[in-house]
Amino acid sequence: MEYLKTAFLSIKQNKGRSFLTMLGIIIGIASVITILAIGNGMKAYVNRSLDDFTSGAVTINIDQKKTSKFLTISQLKQIEEVTPEAYGITPSFSTYANLTDNTDFYCSVKGGTPVIARDSSHGICKGRFFRDDDVESASLVCVTTQQSAILLFGTDDVLDKTISIEVEGKSVELTIIGVLKSSDEDVAQAKAARKKGEQYYYIIEFFVPYTIMTQKFNIASENFTSFAIYTQQGQADDTAMKVKSIVENMLDLRGEGAVVIESFASIAGAYNKILNIVTMVVALIAAISLLVGGIGVMNIMTVSVTERTREIGIKKSLGAKTAYIMIQFLTESALITLIGGFIGMAMGALFTKIASNFMSFPPVIDPMNVLLVVAISVADGIFFGIYPAKRAAKMSPIDALKQE
Amino acid sequence: MPALVEVQDVCKIYDPGENEVRALDHVSLTIDEGEFVAIIGQSGSGKSTLMNMLGCLDTPTSGKYMLHGTDVSHMTDDEQSDVRNREIGFIFQGFNLIPSLTAIENVELPLMYRGVSKKTRMELSKTALERVGLANRMTHKPSELSGGQQQRVAIARAIAQAPPILLADEPTGNLDSGSSREIIDIIKKLHGEGRTVILITHDPGIASRAKRIITIGDGKILSDVINDKYEE
Repeated sequence: MEYLKTAFLSIKQNKGRSFLTMLGIIIGIASVITILAIGNGMKAYVNRSLDDFTSGAVTINIDQKKTSKFLTISQLKQIEEVTPEAYGITPSFSTYANLTDNTDFYCSVKGGTPVIARDSSHGICKGRFFRDDDVESASLVCVTTQQSAILLFGTDDVLDKTISIEVEGKSVELTIIGVLKSSDEDVAQAKAARKKGEQYYYIIEFFVPYTIMTQKFNIASENFTSFAIYTQQGQADDTAMKVKSIVENMLDLRGEGAVVIESFASIAGAYNKILNIVTMVVALIAAISLLVGGIGVMNIMTVSVTERTREIGIKKSLGAKTAYIMIQFLTESALITLIGGFIGMAMGALFTKIASNFMSFPPVIDPMNVLLVVAISVADGIFFGIYPAKRAAKMSPIDALKQE
Repeated sequence: MPALVEVQDVCKIYDPGENEVRALDHVSLTIDEGEFVAIIGQSGSGKSTLMNMLGCLDTPTSGKYMLHGTDVSHMTDDEQSDVRNREIGFIFQGFNLIPSLTAIENVELPLMYRGVSKKTRMELSKTALERVGLANRMTHKPSELSGGQQQRVAIARAIAQAPPILLADEPTGNLDSGSSREIIDIIKKLHGEGRTVILITHDPGIASRAKRIITIGDGKILSDVINDKYEE
């Protein structure tokens, strides 16, 4: 307590100088906090986006460079039957398309069995998803999303409307039988875009029975070399391994490495790894300013020790021990960097807030990071305070008293 | 029972070699409890070195310094700090108060180093300041006090912890004659209460107020006499 009081008094007495000393630490801490917050925000954003895409979906490919074997629809059904833990197994095709009567819109068409409804985490809000019998009979139906419906028609009241989709010169007329719910943000975004006439900037999404892709557009064959498994998140890897070995047995491809798992979880993991590395590298560069700030603290503390030589001499002559003098100066340098750390934190939060106005994703300040940064700033002060404090403590009382 | 202060054949040599300076040259000296000794000498006589030695601020090149029968001349830095804190109350020429602290906080310092609790510290410091007549100046900073008052704060600081020895180094050197008299009177009063006082000065007028006068020159003790003009 005494130490803190003395240190605080001394800092207060040299307000201007103490603040200038803190500046390095403030800038360091503020930039580290901002960068970590942006990094965290980016990671959260990427994860959310990937989640929206495919929660727990795994794609299995049969590498056509290694084998010419493939699976039929009945074989896929067989695999599905022995894999009850999966929501479903489906051929999975996507393609880009135009609308025949409005070529300004750019569409993405995804074909599969009804299980691809799980691509949306929000469920259906109007009509129904297509069913197995729609797939078998290649019914000319499609499902779209709330966002796409609003972009396309200005309303999500689009059931029974027909659209004409053109893929590689073949056009097919489809009836909309269902609308998948979109997030509130996406709906608001679509409405705003529609108002501003910017609806063409967005991709319109359609889900169709895969048989439309194979039979009407003729862009895919029913000799499947790639299919998707929909499972609960967290089970994806186990299920994928199981299905892989089933396929290898079925096609007699054991040990050839021709059956390849491509999971979104692993893609997300890879993304996160890269993001972590980038964030850490940038944060490390920002941390260099902490080093520079620390050296500034060391500088000013050395000056302070020289200025207070007489005070140190008096205290030593009255019986202050080496440790007391050391702790006094260490407390002072740690307090300088701690205050600097707090100001830096506030500045970091402010920068983060400002930065969030210019970015498409919200930065996230992790309390653990904040705690860590404060600890670092104190450690910074103590570490760089050691040299000047040692100098002070080692002073001989007679020499120190001689100084005027 | 050993003497309070026993200096045995002490030498202090600076820059040993051809240009060596013998600040103290085989000095031996005994001071008993309750004495009032003045050490007098010109500047360069070695009296400051002797005072540093007696105050445990310096260590001798050779010889021994026994305090209460304990050899304190070859202690570590921290051990010497401890001895200074317990045995010696310093009164310096330049007062040596800490400018950022109030009078009472200055007086508290040596008690703090001894680990005395805040409450006891406050009580002892208050009593000490009252004894030097500064009861109404406790929360003043040194810059708000006159020279004589500052020296009285320093005396309060020296006596608050009740050390056996008061070591005063030219205590009136920076003061006018009125304040000087006051300070010497306080010191005499403290001696009257049973404290051992060692007064270092170059001024024969001040020295003549002590009971025993030791004269030092060229690092040697020139004379050591009882002052027959001493007034109680």
